[in-house]
Amino acid sequence: MRFARISKAVGVAAVAALALSACASTTGGNSSTSSAGGQAGGSATVVEVNGFSSFNTNTANGNSDINSKIDYATHSGFNYIDNKLNVVKNEKFGKYEKISDNPLTVKYTINDGVKWSDGAPVTANDLILQWATFSGFYNDSKLNDKGDIASGTTYFQYAGDTSGLGLTEFPEIGDNGQSVTLKYSKPFADWEIAFGSLVDIPSHVMATKSGFKDADALTAFLKALPKGNPEAPVTASPELQKVADLWNAGFDTKTMPTDPALALSNGAFMVKSMDPEQSMTLVKNPDYNWGPAASLDSITVRYISDPAAQIAALKNGEADIIAPQASADTVSQLKALESQGVTVEQDAQLAYDHLDLNFSGVFADANVREAFMKATPRQDILDKIIKPLDDKAKVLDSQIFIPAQAGYENSAKNNGSSAFDKVDIDGAKKLLNGATPTVRIMYNKDNPNRADAYTLIAASATKAGFNIVDGGLGKSDWSKALGNGTYDATIFGWTSPGVGVSSVPQLFKSGAESNFSGFSNPDADKLMEELIVTTDKSKQDEINTKIDKLIWDSKYGAPLFQSVGVDAYSDKITGVKYMPNQTGVWWNFWEWSAK
Amino acid sequence: MVTYIVRRLVTAVLILLGASFLVYLLTAASGDPLAELRANPSPNKTQLIQQRTELLHLNVPAPLRYFIWLKGAAGCLIPFANSCDLGTNLQGQPVTEQLGLAMVQTLSLVTVATLLAILIGVTLGIITALRQYSALDYGVTFMAFLFFSLPIFWAAVLLKEYGAIGFNNFLRDAVVPIPVTIVLALVFGLIAMAVSTGAWKRRWMVFGITAAATAIILQLLSVTGWFTNPGLGIVVIAITAVGVAFGITTLSAGLKNKKALYSALITAGIGVVLYFPIQPLLAAATPLMIVLLAIAAIAVGIAVGYFMGGYDRGQNIRSAALTAFLVGALIMADRFMQSWPEYFNNSKIRGRPIPTIGASTPNFDGDFWTSSLDRMTHLLLPTIALILISIASYTRYSRGSMLEIMNMDFIRTARAKGLSERTVVMRHAFRNALIPLATIVAFDIGGLIGGAVITERVFSFSGMGSMFAQGLLSVDPNPVMGFFVVVGITALVFNLLADLVYSALDPRVKVKS
Repeated sequence: MRFARISKAVGVAAVAALALSACASTTGGNSSTSSAGGQAGGSATVVEVNGFSSFNTNTANGNSDINSKIDYATHSGFNYIDNKLNVVKNEKFGKYEKISDNPLTVKYTINDGVKWSDGAPVTANDLILQWATFSGFYNDSKLNDKGDIASGTTYFQYAGDTSGLGLTEFPEIGDNGQSVTLKYSKPFADWEIAFGSLVDIPSHVMATKSGFKDADALTAFLKALPKGNPEAPVTASPELQKVADLWNAGFDTKTMPTDPALALSNGAFMVKSMDPEQSMTLVKNPDYNWGPAASLDSITVRYISDPAAQIAALKNGEADIIAPQASADTVSQLKALESQGVTVEQDAQLAYDHLDLNFSGVFADANVREAFMKATPRQDILDKIIKPLDDKAKVLDSQIFIPAQAGYENSAKNNGSSAFDKVDIDGAKKLLNGATPTVRIMYNKDNPNRADAYTLIAASATKAGFNIVDGGLGKSDWSKALGNGTYDATIFGWTSPGVGVSSVPQLFKSGAESNFSGFSNPDADKLMEELIVTTDKSKQDEINTKIDKLIWDSKYGAPLFQSVGVDAYSDKITGVKYMPNQTGVWWNFWEWSAK
Repeated sequence: MVTYIVRRLVTAVLILLGASFLVYLLTAASGDPLAELRANPSPNKTQLIQQRTELLHLNVPAPLRYFIWLKGAAGCLIPFANSCDLGTNLQGQPVTEQLGLAMVQTLSLVTVATLLAILIGVTLGIITALRQYSALDYGVTFMAFLFFSLPIFWAAVLLKEYGAIGFNNFLRDAVVPIPVTIVLALVFGLIAMAVSTGAWKRRWMVFGITAAATAIILQLLSVTGWFTNPGLGIVVIAITAVGVAFGITTLSAGLKNKKALYSALITAGIGVVLYFPIQPLLAAATPLMIVLLAIAAIAVGIAVGYFMGGYDRGQNIRSAALTAFLVGALIMADRFMQSWPEYFNNSKIRGRPIPTIGASTPNFDGDFWTSSLDRMTHLLLPTIALILISIASYTRYSRGSMLEIMNMDFIRTARAKGLSERTVVMRHAFRNALIPLATIVAFDIGGLIGGAVITERVFSFSGMGSMFAQGLLSVDPNPVMGFFVVVGITALVFNLLADLVYSALDPRVKVKS
């Protein structure tokens, strides 16, 4: 009896052991492939704030900083922007040349051998697709007052500006399908950065996925389709709508797409894996030889939103490159890591704060505006708000240029800003001549920098005899109040595009949409009209310098300071360089190397 | 009963509707989703504003916009229709998909922490209640309140600084310096002294012995390089297993029950004997296998207890099964330690094993043991942070409830009829003390899914908490509403469950229908 029990138990145990070994892992306790990332090129871990969400960064939804950075690292094109804000040509990818100035005609030719990571060549078809999506050529929609589409169709939800490429007709394809030629109906100043900087959406994938035979078929279809006319909208083309739907949303994903065609690369790196809201990994594209060659083998991107957590990760060796939002706290914590071999770089960003005075109400009189500008303590504001973050920071002296741009120095010297370098209470009083105008200043109360700037300006202006009313609004209201006439002066921020001039008329032309203060100057208007059809960089700078002076002469208001950006990297990495624009440290990722 | 549940469910729906309407309005009023676009100088500003307006239906007033959202959300009620539409976030990602990802992250972060907090908190509460007004009681009370009042972001930053960065630096050259040894020895000595009872002379002796033992062990470990190459070994496992067998028997059956003690000891013995034979199997472990092994261990315990016979097989079985489980866990722990050097030297870890952020090392590629270690090291700090702050309430509640029970008449009766103190505490008092805790635990489990906003942010977990915070910051109502729906429903359901469980546990409480 007892023996039977025991043998039964042994039997059960044996079966159980068999069952257990059957479910053992097949890899069988092999040691991890520990040297995978540690070969010649090495790897780096870069921290980003937001999580990757789309392989098409050109759409309204996909147009986020992180998507653009990954797009930049995994695609190539005719040019890129360096940290001096110059456009640098990448002739290994292809050539583009201005064939004629009038009409502006540009020919883009892709080199042979440039290909997508699935082996398909990059051809004119890819450029045609980009042109179709960036130009808004086929759109025939019209908006009503509420901002709704009243009639017609908008096909591609392009996040950029369609007005430049909208001036072109269907491009001419040549050189065996390796080149396209764009002809503008009138010159377009920003032609160089409006098209082809990154060729990032593969036409052959779009074609097969939206029911066309191949990329040539898609191009032929686009060629046959007439230009959209908002005045005479037609029923939407279902074929084009299908292409547009795929382009608008088909590339949005937080996980590695099951179809690798949606994640094709034609740049230095390819996306290898994605862990939603945690990390993604880029590995070197083995075929890539049509641009600056990368030194690293792989780049891991990790998403950390909290600046303090970014710094702790850098300190703990989990991250190699970080670019947290700058604050006095962040900077001092990073400085403390310098003893550990961490390099910290701070510099100005493209965003800048400025004080704008309305050209109406109390400020209708230029003398009152000038008096207010004289009483504005620009240096004090800089010292209080920006100096703790970046002790090299200087007051911004131009309404159009920022110091990183070549034209800044010359323009700042001559635009008359030097008259407002120092607070001149007496001068202000003299100009006011005993009057005590009441000025309501509107700003975002919930932004500590703006609130500090307001306090300093109000204190100084009161001394000069102004009667200051605090018109600060909460963060949900202030931007709606811009330009609605309920205030006399406002403190807020613009972001300079860094490259290109299209935003200048947007801010300063009479009646322009973002011209909130009612500035209007016929000479400046004329210059701006000339500016947007000037295709030569040095001539653009010349005109901008003139406009800058006109703006200062009309006592428009005063730019205050640029916000500060900071990046830091560990001693395991070299080659990281500060970049003021949205690309951030990624701009020269090919120069990064691991020690 | 049924009418009661139906009535509660109907009220729950009404509460959800009302609350979601309020939350929607509040979120919509919390900011201007177009602010960043209005202050944008680019030429296509109008177009961008139009695109976002269309995406978020901004041209419809917020109270009416709520119904657009509600219409999509109502689709979720139709089963299998795949018509669930909670809207999209600003990046165009469906909220339903976002919720799925966030829930996984949150659950992985808070589940272990909550379970541990309940376990440790209740244990501490019961012990302090039994030793009311002792040094231990005061000590635990003090610590509980101290941790409870710590701001978690600060505690988390300290944990990162010392628990991760400091500890990793220490591991580079793993020698415990003499001053640290002394301090740790004193601390452990004091803790032991607080736990011990009796005359002061005896307590000082406990202090001295514990402190000396701690110091010696620490120095031994550091001399032998244990911190970089840890392990328990068969000897430590054997000694601990015997200790576990005695401890478990004391609690579950009392040492007087020889059959139970022997069952536990035999199980422990089987575990120790199996230590070597099982190693090759463990080397090829998968999660499923570990679960099966745990079940097998418990089965062995049950079998041993059953075959031991005696007048109360139940007690044997319980003691042996628990012992088997714990000895199994011990062998597991030893196996994890064996994998530690491999994990430590992995090129992705670079000799800094305790991370400060995230749920796992990107692209970490290892076997079951090293990848589990990777997940554990990532969860270590956030779990400690969460436990520290939530342990206080459990300790206080269970202490209070235990004290109340211990002063009841039926406890005096139990003692009077000659039951041993163990039986009185474990059988009569402990079980009854847990009844009021059931409500709190049900609530907390319901709250699990809501995540921990600050902990998630500090440790870079993109769970429910950060989804909510991010949605609110960017004035993006859909993720906030998605969060609210999930959290609201779980809260209401678990509230109902708590009431039902309470009435099932405590016959004095009846649900009124």
